[in-house]
Parts: sequence; structure tokens; C-alpha cells
Amino acid sequence: MAILPVPGELTGPYWEHARRHELVVQHCAGCGAAWHPPLPRCPHCHSADLGWQPVSGRGTVYSYTIVQHATHRALAAEIPYVVAIVELAEGHRMVANIRGCAPEDVHIGQSVRVTFEDVTDEITIPQFTVER
Amino acid sequence: MRREAAIVGIGQSEFSKRSPHSAWELAVQAVLAALLDAGLDASEVDGMCRFAPPFETVGEPMMVRGLGIGELAFFAESPLGGEALGAVVAHAVAAIATGQAKVVVVYRALKQSAGARFGRADQGPGGTAATGEHVLVPEDDNRSFAWPYGLLSPGQLFALWATRYLHVHGLREADLTRSLGTVAIQQRRYANENPAALMRDRVLDWETYTGARMISWPLRLFDLCLENDGACAFVLTSAERARSLRDDPVYVLSATQTLAPYREPMGLYTDDLLESFPPAAADRLYHGAGVSPKDISVAELYDATSFMTMKGLESYRFVPAGTGWKHLLDTGIGLDSPLPVNTHGGHLSEGYLHGMNGVTEAVRQLRGTARNQVRDAEVALVGAPSGSAMILGR
Repeated sequence: MAILPVPGELTGPYWEHARRHELVVQHCAGCGAAWHPPLPRCPHCHSADLGWQPVSGRGTVYSYTIVQHATHRALAAEIPYVVAIVELAEGHRMVANIRGCAPEDVHIGQSVRVTFEDVTDEITIPQFTVER
Repeated sequence: MRREAAIVGIGQSEFSKRSPHSAWELAVQAVLAALLDAGLDASEVDGMCRFAPPFETVGEPMMVRGLGIGELAFFAESPLGGEALGAVVAHAVAAIATGQAKVVVVYRALKQSAGARFGRADQGPGGTAATGEHVLVPEDDNRSFAWPYGLLSPGQLFALWATRYLHVHGLREADLTRSLGTVAIQQRRYANENPAALMRDRVLDWETYTGARMISWPLRLFDLCLENDGACAFVLTSAERARSLRDDPVYVLSATQTLAPYREPMGLYTDDLLESFPPAAADRLYHGAGVSPKDISVAELYDATSFMTMKGLESYRFVPAGTGWKHLLDTGIGLDSPLPVNTHGGHLSEGYLHGMNGVTEAVRQLRGTARNQVRDAEVALVGAPSGSAMILGR
């Protein structure tokens, strides 16, 4: 059992890009601002002319926790796992699990890069793995 | 708003892990107790303020019918969980001050044993039923960017804040453990003196605290609040009416609500994760009340986790940012400290009532009837994170 996003009106394109192993954030064609998570309009110039732009997929760990108690039956087999807030090189923050090292070796400031996990035929989840 | 309205009655049900009563019955018990305390009849109630659904499940129509109230002239609901705490009081005072209502009841009932546990994402409202093979998360409130990563409960979010605090302020992990443990153990000591507290008979020592299982590192079991059933209520009326009802009304000096950008979910995307509410919010609160942090006799700080008690000391300017942990180690929050905090035991050890039991405790402190009474308590601050707070005074 996996916990999966249901792509909606706002988030559909994000997950469609993820399925193609592209990490994107929403951006404004009017003023060039970019942000995550997505919004119906640009919060800066209020333009509705929005698109999606690729980001580097590189970032650092902004904060994290090692979850050792499952708060959902779907996670009983996953603990312990790391939930992190990753700050992308472009400045956007994203939630992710950290792959590629033991939970106790994760630390704030650690360099990470995006990796894509195909969970089902329709859904791919962007995750982050430590840079070697 | 200052001294325009006062709390004239407080009430609560029994707090328990599994109540035989419905949330509706618990709410009725708390409101009737508050009205009795105020010396008011239910027929005089013409206003109600409450937490918005899905948090509060007992609606105004249920309360009006259940209590035999003729009609309400004012009712308002405040969203976002604990951030409603200051709002429900602010709305009640506004209604009274503008003449929209004369007697306003504020209530909150929880029946976590029947679902909707905050520590379980697979139960009750807000939880997501498994459809076939997988659990499917809609995009509302950005949950679909958090839940698939196993970030589902408030405790986990507060752990993210605590780790960031550890890093930014350069603490050793042992310092954080010691300071959070000081909160958990002191609040338990208060609860041990409080017959209404769920944990009244359970002593918490350092060995038990540090030996408890880690829930979401760096937070251990006793860093997290209780999950329980229960209800709290209080009654507000105009200052003039209050003085005719009792000789110890508790005046609302100020009450605030605050909504900062990137609130959903729970400040996760805020520029500075540790800025749990914007600094201007504390200014509004103190300015409105005409007092400063040094005037506060006792504080009841919203403690979904022990970290929130510590951070609340900083957010409400009792100590400089980054020094809350040190204050806990050096000074503490006991009755012998300059600022006793969570004197009922708080959410960690009395019971979790979304901050409402902090209000009833503050009223007892200002009346001089608290179990852990702060001597000559004049002014109390009750605060949730995100600038949802109130200052009450005699």
C-alpha cells in the first residue's frame, strides 16, 4: 500500500512532469516569478498566464525528522524514515524522503539531488538522494 | 477591545481517554457548567463562537436545540485548529462591543476516541480512506505534497521545527533533550496537583522521559500532547454586566488572530520555519492590552509538543529568540520561576483541548482559585503559535 497524490486541477501538470522524470515549479510568464507549491495565479503580479519551468533538482537539507512511529497503517513497514524539507538551489522548498544514506547520517545543509521513484504506472514521486 | 468584555463563567467536562459520552453531550456539560459558574441561564445566551469544522463537530444548531436557547443573534467559526484560539475570543468580544450579542458562549468538544485522532492520519475526518490498493490524497491544502512522503501529523511537523531550531541556534542534542524534558516534567508536576488532569496520578521522571520511545526524532513520546475526549467552555459578556454578575470577572485586555503566507499546511513553506508567527503579531497583542511581557504573571502556552512551550517563550518575547532552551535549563517554568507556564499541566499532561483549557486555567489563576496558584496573578497570556492569543486581566 502506498500513499499517492491525486493529481488535481492545480497539481496535475507537476505530477505529469514528474512521471517524465522532470522536476518543475510553477512560474509566471508575466513577471518571471516562480514558486512551489502551485497557485491559481501569480502571487506577485496576479497574472493568470502561468507555466512550469524545470529546476536543477539540486538542493540542501533545510530541516528533517526521523519518523519512528507510524501515523498511518500504510507506513507501518516504512519506519524509520526521514522526512526532510529540501531547499532547492533555486530557493524553493519541497518535502521529500532522503535516500542513499542511513537516517542518522542525514544532516541540515547536506547536499542532495532529485531522484524519481515510479510507484505506479501513473504516479512517480520525486525524492532526494545524498550527493556522493 | 481593552476591558470591553469579560469572562464570567468557565466550565469543563471530565477529560478522559475514552468517554462514554458523545461530543455533543460533552459540549453541553461544559457549557452548562460555564453558565452555572456565571450565574446565567441558557435562555440568556444570544451568541456563540467556536472552532470551525472539521475540528469542532458539534454545530451551533445542535447547541441551540440541545440547550433550549431561543435564538442566536451572533455566531462565528474560526478555522485552522489551534490558530482559532485567539480568534474565538476576539470574535466574542467584537460581537459584545458592537452590540451584536450580549452573552456569548465559546465551546470546544473533542471525542478523539471515536476517530479524528491528531496522531493518526488513517482515522476520521482529514484522514483518507484507502481506495483499493493505495491511499489517495487530494491536492487540498497541499497535503498531496506532504502525505506521500509520510508527513501526516502535527507532531512530525513540530519535529521539523525542532531540528531546525537545534541547527540554527547551535545546540547540542543533549541541550535540546534537557530543555524539552524540563517542559514535559514540570508540566507533569503541575498535572500531579490537578485533579482534573488526565495524568494526575502519573509521575514523570528524567529516566522515564529520556527512556521513552522516539516518535519523530528529536521528539520523544512525552514531548507530544495527549489525545483524549473532553470539552471546555467559557461565557463572555460586557464589562458592565460582568461586574453585576460577580466580583472577580476576568477582562479580555486583547485578543488576536494572525494569518501569515504559506500557512498551509502548518507553516511548512514559511521562509523562516522558526518564525512560527510574524513578529508584528506579538506587537498587536501587547499593544492592544497596554502591557509588556514583563507584566505577565502567568502564561498558558499552546503545547501540541514540548517544543511549542519552549518556542512560545521566545515568540511572545519573554526571552530573546534562540534562548528559550537556556531559560528552561537555568530558570524553568515552575511556580518559583518569574514566569510559571502551563500551570494546569497543559496539553502534555492535563488534556488536549485545542488551547481552550489554557483559557479556563488562566481564568482560575486570575480569580485566585487555581490548583497551582501563582501568587497575586494580575495578568495572564494564553497563546497558540501563529499569533493567535489573548491577554486577560483582573
